[in-house]
Amino acid sequence: MHSQAQNKLPNTSKKANIPKKVNNEAGLAIINSKAPYSSHYGKDALDVALIFGSYEQKVSLFFQGDGVHQLIAKQDTSLLSIKDYLKTFAAFEFYDIEHVYACQQSLLTRKLEPSFHITDVQVLSTTEFSAALNQHQHVLRF
Amino acid sequence: MNTLAVVITTPPYSPLTATAVNYVETALEAGIKLVGVFFYQDGAMHANGHISIATDEYQAIFHWQRLQQKYSVPLHVCATAAEKRGVILGELTDEVVNKSFTVSGLGELVELTSKASRLVQF
Repeated sequence: MHSQAQNKLPNTSKKANIPKKVNNEAGLAIINSKAPYSSHYGKDALDVALIFGSYEQKVSLFFQGDGVHQLIAKQDTSLLSIKDYLKTFAAFEFYDIEHVYACQQSLLTRKLEPSFHITDVQVLSTTEFSAALNQHQHVLRF
Repeated sequence: MNTLAVVITTPPYSPLTATAVNYVETALEAGIKLVGVFFYQDGAMHANGHISIATDEYQAIFHWQRLQQKYSVPLHVCATAAEKRGVILGELTDEVVNKSFTVSGLGELVELTSKASRLVQF
Protein backbone atom coordinates (compact mmCIF):
# COMPACT_ATOMS: atom_id res chain seq x y z
CA MET A 1 0.00 0.00 0.00
CA HIS A 2 2.73 2.43 0.95
CA SER A 3 4.62 1.81 -2.29
CA GLN A 4 1.74 3.33 -4.21
CA ALA A 5 1.73 6.32 -1.94
CA GLN A 6 5.48 6.64 -2.42
CA ASN A 7 5.12 6.94 -6.18
CA LYS A 8 2.98 10.00 -5.71
CA LEU A 9 5.63 11.57 -3.55
CA PRO A 10 8.69 12.50 -5.57
CA ASN A 11 9.87 14.87 -2.82
CA THR A 12 9.98 12.34 -0.07
CA SER A 13 10.67 8.98 -1.63
CA LYS A 14 14.33 9.60 -2.47
CA LYS A 15 15.68 8.94 0.98
CA ALA A 16 13.14 6.28 1.83
CA ASN A 17 14.99 3.26 3.08
CA ILE A 18 12.40 0.84 4.33
CA PRO A 19 13.77 -2.09 6.30
CA LYS A 20 12.10 -5.35 5.28
CA LYS A 21 12.81 -7.45 8.32
CA VAL A 22 10.93 -5.47 10.90
CA ASN A 23 7.19 -5.62 11.29
CA ASN A 24 6.63 -1.89 11.17
CA GLU A 25 7.87 -1.64 7.60
CA ALA A 26 7.52 2.09 7.13
CA GLY A 27 7.95 2.89 10.78
CA LEU A 28 6.27 5.31 13.10
CA ALA A 29 4.79 8.69 12.23
CA ILE A 30 4.49 11.19 15.06
CA ILE A 31 2.02 14.00 14.50
CA ASN A 32 2.74 17.18 16.42
CA SER A 33 -0.33 19.37 16.58
CA LYS A 34 0.23 21.59 19.62
CA ALA A 35 2.14 24.85 20.12
CA PRO A 36 5.46 24.28 21.91
CA TYR A 37 5.32 26.01 25.30
CA SER A 38 1.78 25.90 26.63
CA SER A 39 1.92 22.16 27.26
CA HIS A 40 4.33 19.21 27.40
CA TYR A 41 2.95 17.53 24.30
CA GLY A 42 5.85 18.62 22.10
CA LYS A 43 8.49 17.45 24.57
CA ASP A 44 6.69 14.13 25.16
CA ALA A 45 6.52 13.57 21.39
CA LEU A 46 10.22 14.40 21.06
CA ASP A 47 11.12 11.88 23.78
CA VAL A 48 9.25 9.16 21.87
CA ALA A 49 10.96 10.15 18.60
CA LEU A 50 14.44 10.03 20.13
CA ILE A 51 13.84 6.65 21.75
CA PHE A 52 12.65 5.16 18.46
CA GLY A 53 15.67 6.72 16.77
CA SER A 54 18.09 5.30 19.31
CA TYR A 55 16.56 1.82 18.87
CA GLU A 56 17.18 2.24 15.14
CA GLN A 57 13.48 2.24 14.34
CA LYS A 58 12.17 4.35 11.50
CA VAL A 59 10.42 7.44 12.75
CA SER A 60 9.13 10.50 10.90
CA LEU A 61 7.83 13.73 12.37
CA PHE A 62 4.78 15.54 11.08
CA PHE A 63 3.92 19.07 12.15
CA GLN A 64 0.47 20.44 11.51
CA GLY A 65 -1.92 22.97 13.03
CA ASP A 66 -0.35 24.89 15.91
CA GLY A 67 2.37 22.22 15.93
CA VAL A 68 4.18 24.11 13.14
CA HIS A 69 5.15 26.72 15.74
CA GLN A 70 7.58 24.12 17.13
CA LEU A 71 9.64 24.45 13.95
CA ILE A 72 10.24 28.20 14.13
CA ALA A 73 13.96 28.91 14.20
CA LYS A 74 15.76 30.77 17.01
CA GLN A 75 13.07 30.67 19.66
CA ASP A 76 14.05 32.04 23.07
CA THR A 77 12.43 30.39 26.08
CA SER A 78 14.51 32.17 28.73
CA LEU A 79 11.65 34.59 29.50
CA LEU A 80 9.30 31.67 30.15
CA SER A 81 11.50 29.69 32.57
CA ILE A 82 11.00 26.69 30.32
CA LYS A 83 13.66 24.26 29.23
CA ASP A 84 14.19 24.74 25.50
CA TYR A 85 13.51 21.24 24.22
CA LEU A 86 13.43 22.57 20.65
CA LYS A 87 17.23 22.82 20.73
CA THR A 88 17.29 19.03 20.58
CA PHE A 89 15.73 19.18 17.11
CA ALA A 90 19.27 19.88 15.89
CA ALA A 91 20.19 16.30 16.91
CA PHE A 92 17.71 14.61 14.57
CA GLU A 93 20.45 13.61 12.17
CA PHE A 94 22.37 11.92 14.98
CA TYR A 95 19.25 9.84 15.75
CA ASP A 96 18.72 9.04 12.05
CA ILE A 97 15.47 10.98 12.00
CA GLU A 98 15.54 12.02 8.38
CA HIS A 99 11.96 12.92 7.66
CA VAL A 100 10.50 16.06 9.18
CA TYR A 101 7.40 17.37 7.44
CA ALA A 102 5.40 20.56 7.86
CA CYS A 103 1.89 21.12 6.56
CA GLN A 104 1.87 24.02 4.10
CA GLN A 105 -1.76 24.87 4.76
CA SER A 106 -1.02 25.23 8.48
CA LEU A 107 1.77 27.71 7.63
CA LEU A 108 -0.50 29.74 5.37
CA THR A 109 -3.27 29.90 7.97
CA ARG A 110 -0.75 31.20 10.51
CA LYS A 111 0.90 33.59 8.04
CA LEU A 112 4.30 31.95 8.51
CA GLU A 113 6.83 32.59 5.73
CA PRO A 114 8.09 29.52 3.84
CA SER A 115 11.56 30.23 5.27
CA PHE A 116 10.39 30.47 8.89
CA HIS A 117 11.59 27.07 9.93
CA ILE A 118 14.70 25.30 11.15
CA THR A 119 16.77 23.40 8.59
CA ASP A 120 15.93 20.03 7.06
CA VAL A 121 12.17 20.46 7.14
CA GLN A 122 10.10 19.57 4.10
CA VAL A 123 7.00 21.65 3.55
CA LEU A 124 4.26 19.53 1.96
CA SER A 125 0.88 20.34 0.50
CA THR A 126 -2.12 18.85 2.26
CA THR A 127 -2.28 16.00 -0.27
CA GLU A 128 1.43 15.23 -0.02
CA PHE A 129 1.26 15.49 3.75
CA SER A 130 -1.50 12.91 4.03
CA ALA A 131 0.18 10.65 1.44
CA ALA A 132 3.44 10.75 3.41
CA LEU A 133 1.52 9.95 6.59
CA ASN A 134 -0.16 7.06 4.84
CA GLN A 135 3.24 5.49 4.15
CA HIS A 136 3.65 4.73 7.83
CA GLN A 137 2.59 1.60 9.63
CA HIS A 138 1.92 3.34 12.94
CA VAL A 139 0.82 6.82 13.97
CA LEU A 140 0.95 8.59 17.32
CA ARG A 141 -0.54 12.04 17.81
CA PHE A 142 0.57 14.65 20.32
CA MET B 1 -2.14 -13.04 13.02
CA ASN B 2 -3.43 -9.60 13.86
CA THR B 3 -1.50 -8.03 16.68
CA LEU B 4 -2.47 -4.90 18.54
CA ALA B 5 -0.68 -2.43 20.79
CA VAL B 6 -2.55 0.31 22.61
CA VAL B 7 -1.22 3.64 23.88
CA ILE B 8 -3.18 5.53 26.53
CA THR B 9 -2.27 9.20 26.84
CA THR B 10 -5.41 10.41 28.59
CA PRO B 11 -6.08 10.35 32.36
CA PRO B 12 -8.28 7.75 34.10
CA TYR B 13 -11.08 10.30 34.48
CA SER B 14 -11.20 10.94 30.72
CA PRO B 15 -14.32 9.71 28.89
CA LEU B 16 -11.95 8.22 26.31
CA THR B 17 -10.92 5.56 28.79
CA ALA B 18 -14.26 3.79 28.57
CA THR B 19 -13.89 3.72 24.79
CA ALA B 20 -10.37 2.33 25.15
CA VAL B 21 -11.46 -0.42 27.55
CA ASN B 22 -14.40 -1.40 25.32
CA TYR B 23 -12.15 -1.38 22.26
CA VAL B 24 -9.51 -3.56 23.89
CA GLU B 25 -12.04 -6.00 25.30
CA THR B 26 -13.80 -6.37 21.93
CA ALA B 27 -10.44 -6.98 20.24
CA LEU B 28 -9.50 -9.64 22.80
CA GLU B 29 -12.87 -11.38 22.43
CA ALA B 30 -12.36 -11.37 18.66
CA GLY B 31 -9.12 -13.31 19.15
CA ILE B 32 -6.76 -10.45 18.32
CA LYS B 33 -3.47 -10.72 20.14
CA LEU B 34 -2.88 -7.68 22.33
CA VAL B 35 0.87 -7.35 22.85
CA GLY B 36 0.42 -4.71 25.51
CA VAL B 37 -0.97 -1.40 26.68
CA PHE B 38 1.42 1.50 27.25
CA PHE B 39 0.37 4.34 29.55
CA TYR B 40 2.09 7.60 28.64
CA GLN B 41 1.62 11.30 29.45
CA ASP B 42 -1.51 11.74 31.63
CA GLY B 43 -2.25 8.07 31.01
CA ALA B 44 0.44 7.31 33.61
CA MET B 45 -2.02 8.39 36.31
CA HIS B 46 -3.84 5.09 35.80
CA ALA B 47 -1.01 3.40 37.70
CA ASN B 48 -1.61 5.45 40.85
CA GLY B 49 -3.06 2.96 43.33
CA HIS B 50 -4.53 5.76 45.44
CA ILE B 51 -6.82 7.26 42.82
CA SER B 52 -10.45 7.20 43.83
CA ILE B 53 -13.12 7.87 41.25
CA ALA B 54 -16.65 8.69 42.41
CA THR B 55 -18.82 5.56 42.46
CA ASP B 56 -21.31 6.94 39.94
CA GLU B 57 -18.50 7.52 37.40
CA TYR B 58 -16.78 5.06 35.08
CA GLN B 59 -14.28 2.97 37.03
CA ALA B 60 -11.48 3.07 34.50
CA ILE B 61 -8.73 1.62 36.67
CA PHE B 62 -10.96 -1.20 37.90
CA HIS B 63 -11.73 -2.19 34.31
CA TRP B 64 -8.07 -2.18 33.28
CA GLN B 65 -7.30 -4.41 36.27
CA ARG B 66 -10.15 -6.70 35.28
CA LEU B 67 -8.79 -7.02 31.72
CA GLN B 68 -5.30 -7.58 33.08
CA GLN B 69 -6.51 -10.43 35.29
CA LYS B 70 -8.85 -12.02 32.77
CA TYR B 71 -6.60 -11.87 29.70
CA SER B 72 -3.13 -11.35 31.22
CA VAL B 73 -2.80 -8.09 29.32
CA PRO B 74 0.55 -6.46 30.04
CA LEU B 75 -0.06 -2.93 31.38
CA HIS B 76 3.10 -0.82 31.12
CA VAL B 77 3.41 2.62 32.66
CA CYS B 78 6.11 5.01 31.49
CA ALA B 79 8.48 5.61 34.42
CA THR B 80 9.28 9.24 33.55
CA ALA B 81 5.64 10.15 33.04
CA ALA B 82 4.68 8.39 36.29
CA GLU B 83 7.49 10.04 38.24
CA LYS B 84 6.49 13.58 37.36
CA ARG B 85 2.92 12.78 38.39
CA GLY B 86 3.91 11.45 41.80
CA VAL B 87 3.14 7.83 41.00
CA ILE B 88 6.73 6.76 41.64
CA LEU B 89 8.12 7.96 44.94
CA GLY B 90 11.46 6.25 45.52
CA GLU B 91 11.11 3.81 48.43
CA LEU B 92 7.36 4.35 48.52
CA THR B 93 6.92 3.21 44.92
CA ASP B 94 5.55 -0.22 45.88
CA GLU B 95 2.92 1.43 48.05
CA VAL B 96 1.81 3.86 45.36
CA VAL B 97 1.94 1.92 42.10
CA ASN B 98 -1.07 -0.26 41.38
CA LYS B 99 0.10 -3.89 41.35
CA SER B 100 -1.52 -4.56 37.98
CA PHE B 101 0.96 -2.21 36.28
CA THR B 102 4.57 -2.73 35.29
CA VAL B 103 6.87 0.28 35.47
CA SER B 104 8.68 0.46 32.11
CA GLY B 105 10.71 2.85 30.01
CA LEU B 106 9.86 4.31 26.64
CA GLY B 107 11.92 1.46 25.16
CA GLU B 108 8.96 -0.76 25.99
CA LEU B 109 6.84 1.35 23.62
CA VAL B 110 9.38 0.67 20.88
CA GLU B 111 9.17 -3.04 21.70
CA LEU B 112 5.36 -3.12 21.63
CA THR B 113 5.22 -1.11 18.41
CA SER B 114 7.65 -3.44 16.65
CA LYS B 115 5.50 -6.44 17.64
CA ALA B 116 2.17 -4.92 16.63
CA SER B 117 0.55 -4.72 13.23
CA ARG B 118 -1.73 -1.99 14.62
CA LEU B 119 -1.07 0.73 17.14
CA VAL B 120 -4.07 2.57 18.57
CA GLN B 121 -3.91 5.64 20.79
CA PHE B 122 -6.58 6.91 23.18
